[in-house]
Amino acid sequence: MEEAASEAQLIARLRGGDTDALETLMARYSSRVYRLAHGITRNDADAEEVVQDVFLSLFRKIDTFEERSALGTWIYRVTANAALIKRRGKRVQLEVFLEDQLPTFREDGHREGDRDFLLADWSTRPDEELVGIETRRVLTRALDQLPDGYRTVVLLRDLEGLSNEETAEALGESVASVKSRLHRARMALREQLTRALVRASGPG
Amino acid sequence: MTRLTCRDVIDLLADYLEATVSPETLAAFERHLEGCPACVAYLNTYRKTRELTATVARVSMPQDMQARLRAFLIEQLRGG
Repeated sequence: MEEAASEAQLIARLRGGDTDALETLMARYSSRVYRLAHGITRNDADAEEVVQDVFLSLFRKIDTFEERSALGTWIYRVTANAALIKRRGKRVQLEVFLEDQLPTFREDGHREGDRDFLLADWSTRPDEELVGIETRRVLTRALDQLPDGYRTVVLLRDLEGLSNEETAEALGESVASVKSRLHRARMALREQLTRALVRASGPG
Repeated sequence: MTRLTCRDVIDLLADYLEATVSPETLAAFERHLEGCPACVAYLNTYRKTRELTATVARVSMPQDMQARLRAFLIEQLRGG
């Protein structure tokens, strides 16, 4: 069965120029490629061009694929590169200072800030509210505002489910840099959600 | 016995969720949470943020785009 074709066989067929193998590759990976491309470029038209470029280069550059890495990670790598290049020079001046979104501390290491705000735990609110239109809007905007390199890490880790090591490999960065960006990005997203949810309806 | 501040606890959140902290640090982390509702709220909302991000960013490729992709690739590959 086509679906059962192992990764190694699939690669061998691609190397042999088998266009049916490209169909299998598309069936298996196109939704992931699109999701990441859209997440990085932030719009449909750019995401579509990235997806096209990615599959064409996967087919044409399969010879440069080194089998010590997983095919999936390589595909994420090609996609992230293409999407980040597409995004370059186009970015809207939305990026806010990440530092403003991070928690602040007193000298003794305790959190600083309004007590009600610090104690606000909106995580137990019903899902209908948390995945409602308003929350989606806030979170989408918060994702827009993250620097591209941070957003890409969040998407690979928290959406695509890659490990820190796989993400580092896909982005050609160190694991330490991936971990640091991931944590800062999550804190920034959490902060934006908290500001919106607590302002809208009071703490808790 | 190690004592962690709120700053230490927040620095450790990602590792805590990955379960990669040492048993000793984990014990200190949990001791801090027992006496700090602000850090508990931070941990819960941080964890929930991760989940909501995955939900919100999970966009699907439109059907017609899928068809266009196939047509594009066939054309490109025929053209050499």
